[in-house]
Amino acid sequence: MSREPQRTATAATRRTPSLAPLFATPALLFVAFVIVPLGALAYRAAHDGVVPEQLRAEFVFDALRLSLITSTLTLVLALALGTPLAYLLARASFTGRQIVDTLVDLPMVLPPTVAGVALLVAFGRRGVFGPLLEPAGIELAFTTTAVVMAQLFVSAPFLVRSLKAGFEALDQTYEQVSATLGVSPLRTFWRITLRLSRPALVGGAVLCWARALSELGATLIFAGNFPGRTQTMPLAIITAFESSVGLSGAIALAVILLLVALALLLALRFALRRLPPFEL
Amino acid sequence: MIAVAIRKRLGAFQLDVAFAAERETVVLFGRSGSGKSVTLAAIAGLLRPDAGRIAIGGRVVFDAAAGIDLPPQRRHVGYVVQQLALFPHLTAAENIAYGLVGMSREARRARVAELVALLSLQGLEARRPAALSGGQQQRVALARALARPVEALLLDEPFSALDEALRGDLRAELLRLQAEYELPIVFVTHDLREAHLLGDRVAVLDGGRVLQCADRDEVFRRPASRRVAELTGVRNLLDAAVEGDGGDRVVIAGLPFRAAFDRALHGPVDVAIRAERCNLRRVDPAGPLPENCYVANIVRRLAFGNTHTLHLEPVWAGPVLEVEVASRPYEVLGVAGRSRWVVELPAEDLRVMSREPAQ
Repeated sequence: MSREPQRTATAATRRTPSLAPLFATPALLFVAFVIVPLGALAYRAAHDGVVPEQLRAEFVFDALRLSLITSTLTLVLALALGTPLAYLLARASFTGRQIVDTLVDLPMVLPPTVAGVALLVAFGRRGVFGPLLEPAGIELAFTTTAVVMAQLFVSAPFLVRSLKAGFEALDQTYEQVSATLGVSPLRTFWRITLRLSRPALVGGAVLCWARALSELGATLIFAGNFPGRTQTMPLAIITAFESSVGLSGAIALAVILLLVALALLLALRFALRRLPPFEL
Repeated sequence: MIAVAIRKRLGAFQLDVAFAAERETVVLFGRSGSGKSVTLAAIAGLLRPDAGRIAIGGRVVFDAAAGIDLPPQRRHVGYVVQQLALFPHLTAAENIAYGLVGMSREARRARVAELVALLSLQGLEARRPAALSGGQQQRVALARALARPVEALLLDEPFSALDEALRGDLRAELLRLQAEYELPIVFVTHDLREAHLLGDRVAVLDGGRVLQCADRDEVFRRPASRRVAELTGVRNLLDAAVEGDGGDRVVIAGLPFRAAFDRALHGPVDVAIRAERCNLRRVDPAGPLPENCYVANIVRRLAFGNTHTLHLEPVWAGPVLEVEVASRPYEVLGVAGRSRWVVELPAEDLRVMSREPAQ
């Protein structure tokens, strides 16, 4: 990202040998594969007309509220803790950097149930740190805190990964020039590094939040499935699916979650794209 | 005032430079990889030298022995890099105002307005860098570097990405800025013409070392060594030997030439003379020759628009020579119509240097 290239004939305006005819078929197949199930879901929901009815059910409202609160909290925590980590991984050289880098990726490839078991073993009442926390009156497992912990564990790596790549791709000359202009490192980070890494920040935040919203396995094991306390939307869907209501209840909940996710995804993208500019 | 004497090891590369400047422009001149940009980064505080001392405007900003190493923020230098690094998410005015922290909004606005006027950026304040032309971006970068009070201006090939016409304008701009601010300017370039135009002093860098640092004319007219002569575009580098002991003559390709040089020199020496300092004389080649003259044939002519480059070979004795003649004398002398000429190597333009050990 240095100088704007000559705007007469950029690579984008010049003719590139086109692969469009060749690639169109597999690409369309995949798009259809995504659209068909979602369309079926919407069709069934509209046909059955169960959504408004389910929205009035208290456990659905609770689950939705819990999902939104915990996933948002997870995103905030991931940003607060993950951003410095991503920066250090991208810029600092310290012993064990490679190890930390690999460890951060681990939750992404780990089955969430394994994460749930690990969290329980660490922070459960009879876990490694449980006895230390218990006298202080702190109980983590099977609480709303546990839901956030489970979500943070599995979703924060997506943010860290994306931000790290963003920081690495940024030309450090900007930060160096900023320093020669008398601006402190922290201010430079805020006004230059973070702003110029916005695509990575938005992408990572969206992935992180979406992963937190969809978290199921780790939550189920570490936090349990208690309506109003730890039962998030994915858990409510499972519960509905296995209950007497069966598939139609699950459909309703799934559609609600789908719509909320879509709305929030758009809102988040919009909000992060419009980070307040530095004002003169 | 700026005084630099630093050493820095970077892998296999060893930087060891020293130079100083008052309120004038020092050009760090050298090819890519000679250590120019690294030196500038060290002055700006972006690179920590292993040893040495840097003083800017009477303040010591780095002194390895005394443990002084001010961060870039406290060095008070304006630093413009080759790729400019204008902040792409900020407008021209915001870029200029970027370093003006801790000022009231009014003071900041006033300062930006001043710089906008100084660098003729009126009407472009609200544009993002991507919407500015190359020359405009350059001026925004200069304005941004000058916004805060600075003790020196460090410019790292700032004009290299521009076409020749724009460069000329910006060089003029820079000369004007320097007259206005009376700042020491350290200007890095690999362009000989730029070095000549902008430099009050020129430091010739090669392989991480300063081969010569002196007033511009001294460097161009009296290079310290064969290598400096090569780097500064001297086309004629001749093997010669001092005639006898304590004389004022050197023998070049079998002919003695008078030259001014250090009496301590003896034996084999290098002689340099710039192509544009050699003269074609309107003297009959068959008659008696004046001092420092010999007869040569033009074997090749290259026309460069306003100058002609001639390659000459001696008829009897004397060096093979490259001579540059401006268009006007070329026509007046009638060089095109004749190939045999009397060539003069003026004594005051013959630079005699001790022979360097083979590299």
